[in-house]
Amino acid sequence: MTMTDLPMPRVGPLQEATPKPMRLILNWGRRYSLWVFNFGLACCAIEFIAASMARHDFIRLGVIPFAPGPRQADLMVVSGTVTDKMAPAVRRLYDQMPEPKYVISFGACSNSGGPYWDSYCVTKGVDQLIPVDVYVPGCPPRPEALLQGILLLQQRIASEQPASRSLRKKSYADRRAAAAVLSRPFVSAQDRERLAGAPSESDVSRGTSDASRGTGDVSRGTGDVSRGSTDVSGEA
Amino acid sequence: MVGVGAGGLASADMVLNIGPQHPATHGVLRLRITLDGERIRRAEPIVGYMHRGAEKLFEVRDYRQIMVLANRHDWLSAFSNEIGVALTVERMLGMDVPERATWTRTLLAELNRVLNHLMFLGSYPLELGAITPIFYSFREREELQAVMEEISGGRMHYMFSRVGGLRDDLPAGWLGRVAASIAAVRRRLPDLESLLVGNEILRARTRGVGVLSPELIEAYGVSGPIARASGVDVDLRRDRPYLAYAELFAPGGPGRVVVRSAGDCLARLEVLLEQVHVSLDLAQACLDRLAALPAGPVNVKLPKVLKVPEGWDYVATENPLGFNGYYLVSRGDKTPWRLKLRSASFNNVAVLGELLPGTLIADMVAILGSMFFVVGDIDK
Amino acid sequence: MTVTEVVLRCLIVLVGFLVLPLLIGQTEHKLMAHMQGRLGPMYAGGFHGWAQLVADGVKFVQKEDVVPSAADKPVFRFAPALALASYLMALAVVPLGPVTWGANVPGSLVWVLAVGGIGTLGTLMAGWSSGNKYSLLGGLRAAAQLISYELPLILSCASFAMAAGSLSLVAIGHAWTPWWLIWQLPGALVFLVAATAELQRPPFDMPVADSELVFGPYTEYTGLRFAFFLLAEYAGIVVMSLLLAVLWLGGWTGPFDHQIGVLWTLLKGFGIALVILWMRMSWPRLREDQLQRIAWLWLVPLALLQIAITAAGVVLMSR
Repeated sequence: MTMTDLPMPRVGPLQEATPKPMRLILNWGRRYSLWVFNFGLACCAIEFIAASMARHDFIRLGVIPFAPGPRQADLMVVSGTVTDKMAPAVRRLYDQMPEPKYVISFGACSNSGGPYWDSYCVTKGVDQLIPVDVYVPGCPPRPEALLQGILLLQQRIASEQPASRSLRKKSYADRRAAAAVLSRPFVSAQDRERLAGAPSESDVSRGTSDASRGTGDVSRGTGDVSRGSTDVSGEA
Repeated sequence: MVGVGAGGLASADMVLNIGPQHPATHGVLRLRITLDGERIRRAEPIVGYMHRGAEKLFEVRDYRQIMVLANRHDWLSAFSNEIGVALTVERMLGMDVPERATWTRTLLAELNRVLNHLMFLGSYPLELGAITPIFYSFREREELQAVMEEISGGRMHYMFSRVGGLRDDLPAGWLGRVAASIAAVRRRLPDLESLLVGNEILRARTRGVGVLSPELIEAYGVSGPIARASGVDVDLRRDRPYLAYAELFAPGGPGRVVVRSAGDCLARLEVLLEQVHVSLDLAQACLDRLAALPAGPVNVKLPKVLKVPEGWDYVATENPLGFNGYYLVSRGDKTPWRLKLRSASFNNVAVLGELLPGTLIADMVAILGSMFFVVGDIDK
Repeated sequence: MTVTEVVLRCLIVLVGFLVLPLLIGQTEHKLMAHMQGRLGPMYAGGFHGWAQLVADGVKFVQKEDVVPSAADKPVFRFAPALALASYLMALAVVPLGPVTWGANVPGSLVWVLAVGGIGTLGTLMAGWSSGNKYSLLGGLRAAAQLISYELPLILSCASFAMAAGSLSLVAIGHAWTPWWLIWQLPGALVFLVAATAELQRPPFDMPVADSELVFGPYTEYTGLRFAFFLLAEYAGIVVMSLLLAVLWLGGWTGPFDHQIGVLWTLLKGFGIALVILWMRMSWPRLREDQLQRIAWLWLVPLALLQIAITAAGVVLMSR
């Protein structure tokens, strides 16, 4: 399995080109427009939802929970237990988010494994996978705790200066990925075999013979992990 | 690709991975579906993304600590899960629980059932594209969570039951506040109902979709509201009473089992809605009973090291989502030798492989949402 | 028309194109929040979060621009621009008052319908080019949807044109009488439903269906390109609302319409936009085949009936 370097992430054009005084406005924009992607994994996800509801309502702070996928998100809230089986997907969704991006680790499980600290299949903290900006403690944390975490993050954003140069410091740009994972055709070789091998399929022959010019042509389907499609589970 | 009617045209099936992180799976269930156009040919639920090894961890926790993990596998029915462990251990110890504790447990279990159902009543329309009902259901949830929090200190994981009873006695005036909350929820519930079953589009999306036959239910061991929506009249609260349910479900009591016969998504939703009413009735009955009971202890004094005598037992309770059973094998240690968990969602979701083929992607979302599962309950 | 005037008109259209959608977006935020017992954005910009969408815009230009390597890159890059440009071109000919318009072409109604249809092409292109299965499904849904709403939309517009005896929006606005409110009511309803379907707004948002297809054709879009799609969606609401306001509600006609005619058009358009927003907050999403059913069994017959009524009315009134 050969390894490939992923391309260096870059921030958007305006952020790179502007002089420092403009940063104030740019930071203000990022601060109050945090489209949040809820990586809801366990109990904490319910409290995350509670925080978005009428009583706690983090939309007041400009945290917009309408980002269905990672591509439109600025903030990922990892709420719940990250298991070893889930870990690649967490990493992958993080990679799919465009820069500049932020992560809040919500709850004891994603901070450190929490009550599952001695489990054989739980990742002991999501910070082993992705850089975390704010940790919110609790099991599960109260919605107020998430609000506090968001406020902390916003204060931090207000004083930062993102640039492509500084991204390397975040310790994930040096990531390498297996070449096999990088190529993700619409109909993978495995799937084609599965389709062909299934006895109950009435149109097996059609399915296989046309795979090359089917939904998306296979030759074109070389997405790398971070730039690939949004269904996060690998074909492998 | 294009059409259902494009029979003469050659088309390739497409394999689509729904999840493990997809808005419709609310959690990390993964479905591997084979599509012909939008029609699903084959569906395979792939579980295990949330497997936290709880059963193995039970074996290195003592019986008090087990409760912490036991109430977390189905995070929407935390109290019902605690009760299951407590009942299992109490039965093996041959322990009698004070009456006040039993009635309080029943009250909390029913409130927990309402909380659980309200969550699904909010999230299901969200999957069908209606964004507002969840705000209504969470308003009621907050109302009930407030009283649950007052008694236990937790909003979700109550940790209020102990082996032999409850942690503390009830706070002064708490029963009155519970009664007020129940009344408030009952008063505002019609708002939510009219948004759900009163909506023509929602009915059109759910009626006749994902019909589950009683045979499939028996074959897969489906239980809870999903089974009852298909006419399988089974409810452990009535059939194998525990806590105070024998009295509540006695003839003339407030308890009744909600059953529908259609077996489609709408029936499952209706069962859930109706069960909220029933649970509120039951909670009110518990309140009345608790108010009439004389003051007394709410727990049994336990030895410092709690050891369960050698042997085994299986206790199943009617959790909000279905049967929740604990199979406890003890060798006389302070930790169980094995504590097997029979969770409702695992069986309920397994049936998806039979239910989904032949439906459209849009229906898949409607069916998935109507199976009312909690991923932690699937994967443990 | 002098060069200055042309430039001025273009500028006004452009400003309107950038401001009105934001206004609709902010209204949606606030309206939805208050319908759900919330407050909506409160902090961005100070007073009741008035600058929430400005902050969104400032953020979007800073975001990394990701083009999936599985994508058909030129098409992927071009799609948002196409979606946006079509509604810009449509807005240019929608009159706000008897003399307040970007361009007054003889067949402006046809022009609006034609370029409005191009906008959907942007969705199709995005769906195809993203190299993502969800996007592809979304794109195909958009294509299926196109077939269902386009015909009722055109038929209902034809009725308005017949009633006025002109294809020019300005002339239709002049020909309007309060009697149209009842006379053209079925056509207006058909228009509203079909326009909602064209805009892919709930309950007809099957192509984007965030709980089914993640975000359909827009799943892979980031930063500015995604913002363009959002802007196009809200610009579409503006165009369709103003169009219906001119066609059915008489546009600038109202008390003191010599002084504040433009205001009347904007106000009526805003009212219709509110209805379109309201539908999102109260209703779930239909299924694609249910939309087809509505379109062919209800909308098309209703639109044809409207045309018959209009024809009868025109003949009777011309006697």
